[in-house]
Amino acid sequence: MKIVGISACSAGIAHTYIAKQKLIDAAKKAGDTINMETQGTIGTEDALTPAQIDAADVVLLAVDVKISGRERFEGKRVIEVSTDTAIKSPNKLLEKVHQVIGK
Amino acid sequence: MEEIRAVLDPRVIKLNLNAIDKKDAITQLAQGLKAADYIDDVAAFIKDIYVRESEGITGIGQGVAIPHGKSDDVQNVGVAIGILNHGIEWETLDDQLVNIVILFAVSNDQEASRNQLKLLSLFAGRLGSDHVIEALHEATTVEEVIETFTKEKRVS
Repeated sequence: MKIVGISACSAGIAHTYIAKQKLIDAAKKAGDTINMETQGTIGTEDALTPAQIDAADVVLLAVDVKISGRERFEGKRVIEVSTDTAIKSPNKLLEKVHQVIGK
Repeated sequence: MEEIRAVLDPRVIKLNLNAIDKKDAITQLAQGLKAADYIDDVAAFIKDIYVRESEGITGIGQGVAIPHGKSDDVQNVGVAIGILNHGIEWETLDDQLVNIVILFAVSNDQEASRNQLKLLSLFAGRLGSDHVIEALHEATTVEEVIETFTKEKRVS
């Protein structure tokens, strides 16, 4: 499965980046490819490209705050959780994503 | 990951910390930040930390807590790390006691500290790797703590 995602937390200092790493590790474990954009206090990093979004089976948002550029995902399957969920049980989260997407 | 070393200051990494509770652990680490000139005033800084604490859980599981917040009281962006001798109660994602407390000091002047904040984000990302957390629990010296974050993943 191809995943693109965004992580963003309220302070934009720590949870954003922890959630990103957790999801990358979990995706690797599950044999998925993943690209994660972060929207933190230092701004947007690893911005998703249109090609990445286009090719993705699912958009996974681990966000506690309003994100910018949400319109990029129009027409895509979007699953949204909190950063806490991504940090607490990333493997379970991806299992769920697989179920929902049916891949 | 060697660049992360720039935000890891041995002066504010404390091993064998004895703290009776969350407030005590945060206070002791904040006092270290004050002594190393990261912050101006311990009480003012802690007040801002508790603003973030009120907004959500900072215990990320596996015995680790990451209190943080933005404060006008921060002069230099940095992070204090405390490895406790005994676990303490904390609001956590897995209801486990916390024995590693990582206190982020972030200023409100984000343009001036952009480079440090970038390094801090890399540091935070390392906390998302299970093997980093495991190594951190095993660290017995300040240098081992630093290497936990700066060394690439060991081949297993």
